[in-house]
Amino acid sequence: MQLTVNGEAHEHAGSGTLDALLDELGANKAHAAAMVNGDVVPSTEWAAINLREGDVVELLVFVGGG
Amino acid sequence: MDDPLVIGGHAFGSRLFLGTGKFASTRTMVEAVKASRTELVTVALRRFNREQAEDDLFGPLSELKNVRLMPNTSGAMNAREAIRAAMLGRELSKSPFVKLEIHPNPHHLLPDPIETYEAAIELARQGFLVLPYIPADPVLAKRLEDVGCSAVMPLGAAIGTGKGLATAEMIKIIVRDTNVPVIVDAGLRSPSDAACALEMGCSAVLVNSAIAAAEQPAAMAAAFKTGVEAGRAARLAGLMPTSEIAQASSPLTSFLSAND
Repeated sequence: MQLTVNGEAHEHAGSGTLDALLDELGANKAHAAAMVNGDVVPSTEWAAINLREGDVVELLVFVGGG
Repeated sequence: MDDPLVIGGHAFGSRLFLGTGKFASTRTMVEAVKASRTELVTVALRRFNREQAEDDLFGPLSELKNVRLMPNTSGAMNAREAIRAAMLGRELSKSPFVKLEIHPNPHHLLPDPIETYEAAIELARQGFLVLPYIPADPVLAKRLEDVGCSAVMPLGAAIGTGKGLATAEMIKIIVRDTNVPVIVDAGLRSPSDAACALEMGCSAVLVNSAIAAAEQPAAMAAAFKTGVEAGRAARLAGLMPTSEIAQASSPLTSFLSAND
């Protein structure tokens, strides 16, 4: 399934849930926040969300900032 | 806790808040946070990057005891983006605190008051504890208080400039006219700047560059802690009034010339 993840094309080979995408990317799920097509998706819903072809996913983490 | 600072029902024992950007390393930042004895640090959101996983501050910061994380909305160019950033930040911090900052012009990084005001209304409505970074504008500060902000954070000078309390006269008006805590954010360079802000009646200061860019960040963080404590103690003690004419502090009896 072709997705756009953090602005780049990404071919997802997993089950298509947001959870599976994070696993595939090696992200620490406890340290990440996610947005799909502009909507914030709470981590409690990641296992239930089925991504669709062409979805735009943003994955964010905390970094230093003032 | 003596003299706590209460923001949105949450009590803080320290009146020094720290930003976590610009530090040479995560270790240096953590040491500075510890030395400052702060109980609130700001963090930013950035896209997850597999190659730079070590930049993720969630782990190191969550190990610090008694330190609350306040995500900022940096990078937001308008109210809509800031609201989205705040919602993402809350997902991670599990806390209602948000530093609302919208500064679309990279040349001066000054806050956009109109977008900030609009975002504040919506975020407060959604139950966030909104701490907006704002120009030192007493009218705007009052309007933000009216729409439910938990504090206001006027700038002392532009972000990262170290120009100190360039806006001091306006900040004094904000302190006098605003009923929510006033926290000077941005521009401070030295612990004496922080002391001045607290002496003026500000409730706290938020410091990042002055500590991160110091030769010894942890030592500077400790110095800021002392400065903030001195300024607060002075405010509570009540500063003497100023006078246009000299007022002798020693007796001026003329015994030295009594035998002339």
